Amino acid sequence: MMTYIVFILSVIFVVSFVGFSSKPSPIYGGLVLVVSGGVGCGIIMNFGGSFLGLMVFLIYLGGMLVVFGYTTAMATEQYPEVWVSNTTVMGVFLLGLLMEVMLVLYVLKSEEVGVVFKFSGVGDWAIYDTGDSGVFSEEIMGVAALYSYGAWVVIVTGWSLLVGVLVILEVTRGD
Amino acid sequence: MNPLIFTTILMTVLLGTMIVMMSSHWLMIWIGFEMNLLAIIPILMKKYNPRTMEASTKYFLTQATASMLLMMAIIINLMHSGQWTITKVFNPTASIIMTSALAMKLGLTPFHFWVPEVTQGISLTSGLILLTWQKLAPMSILYQISPSINLNILLTMAVLSILVGGWGGLNQTQLRKIMAYSSIAHMGWMTAVLVYNPTLTMLNMLIYIMMTLTMFMLFIHSSSTTMLSLSHTWNKTPLTTTLILITLLSMGGLPPLSGFMPKWMIIQELTKNSSIILPTLMAIMALLNLYFYMRLTYSTSLTMFPSTNNMKMKWQFETKRITLLPPLIVMSSLLLPLTPMLSILD
Repeated sequence: MMTYIVFILSVIFVVSFVGFSSKPSPIYGGLVLVVSGGVGCGIIMNFGGSFLGLMVFLIYLGGMLVVFGYTTAMATEQYPEVWVSNTTVMGVFLLGLLMEVMLVLYVLKSEEVGVVFKFSGVGDWAIYDTGDSGVFSEEIMGVAALYSYGAWVVIVTGWSLLVGVLVILEVTRGD
Repeated sequence: MNPLIFTTILMTVLLGTMIVMMSSHWLMIWIGFEMNLLAIIPILMKKYNPRTMEASTKYFLTQATASMLLMMAIIINLMHSGQWTITKVFNPTASIIMTSALAMKLGLTPFHFWVPEVTQGISLTSGLILLTWQKLAPMSILYQISPSINLNILLTMAVLSILVGGWGGLNQTQLRKIMAYSSIAHMGWMTAVLVYNPTLTMLNMLIYIMMTLTMFMLFIHSSSTTMLSLSHTWNKTPLTTTLILITLLSMGGLPPLSGFMPKWMIIQELTKNSSIILPTLMAIMALLNLYFYMRLTYSTSLTMFPSTNNMKMKWQFETKRITLLPPLIVMSSLLLPLTPMLSILD
């Protein structure tokens, strides 16, 4: 099972995305976002990116999702919709689950899956350690490169975040 | 809105489009689109009533979907070519998805449904920015990937856009919806020639922006958003009726005016590439556009409908400031003799 851990984690990832795309109340959406964040962290860690995975947990789950959870808790209604309360929500959720199950069976049964790009069965999802990756790990070098060669990206994303705050304040200001 | 914040947000809209136009890395292009989208939302929502909120939400949803499709096309391109530069799109699937995403951003058929509704729900100045500046960024990306665009899909979307832009504008009396349908039709003309000669796309974009700017400035000057209110401009500023006449006929593509130049060049380029039926169809469908421009000029400049004397006065607040109107009017009507200068464009 451990060789196919990335495949299993990605299936759980897709299922939790189906879970919040079927639009229950935002509290439950936040719940499956927590699950998908944790599973996404697992996927990244399996590719050797321990730093980025912990970043997902700390910043995404521990920062943004906590704030999201508190604001939805302030704005929630008396009987929030859960997946089994509304027929539409349950229908969409089951439909998404069904499509994911069919895709998984397709991948498991057939030798080659060629939807947009070809990959040959479950074996393509396993991670092989192909030779030595040098003294430094790749993803830490990627983070270092972000602050040296990718200084423009840092400037642009920093500016976008600042303007994002200004935009949110303007939009929610009302009159 | 606080002027400092408004300036910052407006500059971010400009910065987003600049980043899209000058980046060579697909991720930066996507970031530029998102920055542009994020910053234009409060500009669309300048007045806080339910119509603008609804229009901004519709705009945000369609453009965010288009950005997501663009990201998927970028990732498929990455998977098949292994690199992030914008030379050409190496995979037909990625190219089709990217063309659809950019068509959604531009408002080409079959993704045109948001354009009239969003343009109608926002103020005239915001509609101006929406219909002119926001078209620059997707068109620049289309220009850059033009060697690898699937011709059938693009031409189908272009011809359908010209049809929808002409037919949809026929029953409209609201000026902003008329401008929206005119925008759809012009985008159709621009993308029709994109694969054959992208320079003409840029020429058409330039002249379209000048003419649309002129029209919106004239509407802002007379504070009119409906055909009825526009037909009272003879009372407020009689000169603008003539200017509206000239600019509308230029938008319709009539010969001695500069709006004829892009249509002429596009038809010439298409016939040089041995497609005869397509430019004939496009020229015939441009007549639909011309019809509702003519109806606007008829009610505005050519006739004064009988009305009682107190209906003739047009209520106005303080005179709005219009920027650069005389040069714009000159450029949108008198550029046709400069056509041989096209040889310097490349």
